[in-house]
Amino acid sequence: MPTQPDQDGDHGLSLLGDAWDKAAQYWRDDMARHFDTYHWTPLLRESRSFLEALGKLIDVLNSAERGTEY
Amino acid sequence: MTRVDADIDALKEFHAALVRFRYGQQDLIDRGGDKIEVARASLAERAGRWRSVLEQCQAELDDCQYRAAHAGTDDVLVDCAHYAWAVCEAERRLEEIRCWQQRVDEEASTFRSAASRFRNLLENDLPRTEAHLSAIITSLEAARDVQAPSS
Repeated sequence: MPTQPDQDGDHGLSLLGDAWDKAAQYWRDDMARHFDTYHWTPLLRESRSFLEALGKLIDVLNSAERGTEY
Repeated sequence: MTRVDADIDALKEFHAALVRFRYGQQDLIDRGGDKIEVARASLAERAGRWRSVLEQCQAELDDCQYRAAHAGTDDVLVDCAHYAWAVCEAERRLEEIRCWQQRVDEEASTFRSAASRFRNLLENDLPRTEAHLSAIITSLEAARDVQAPSS
């Protein structure tokens, strides 16, 4: 069954988050904090912002399809 | 896997996850764009179909109104109400489709803006992040090699 892109995106981000959580358990030095602040957190923020826009887009496209089924 | 290398292994797994994420998300941007084009084509097809229906209904109403205007006093009353209703209904549906087309265009514009920023991050920032992480892993491995007792 084909999945919606926004659902696949959420799943991909969730997998990446799990990998980061696992790495962060072992990696707790200054480099880790720097990576968290300047790499991981901005990536997470931008990813969520994009996925939110993608989710809204899919909702509107589905509504347009249903709303014009005459 | 020894406990002492668990941190490096976790970082390597995270690095691999970053690469997979980058390719997967780039595909998502393309799929979002494809969805927009499919929806636009579907709405355009429906709008075209209802324009044809409207033209046909309008022609039938015009014909009815012509017959009503030219009917003699002894003729049966010509009622065009049904044709007028059909024209209104076709206009209403066509207008609904136009509204959805406008809404889709607005949302597509918002999405493309977000997608452009995200694509820039995936194509420029994320490869740098991956390279930075690779360098960290390499330095950790080098330090571990130095510290490891010789057998």
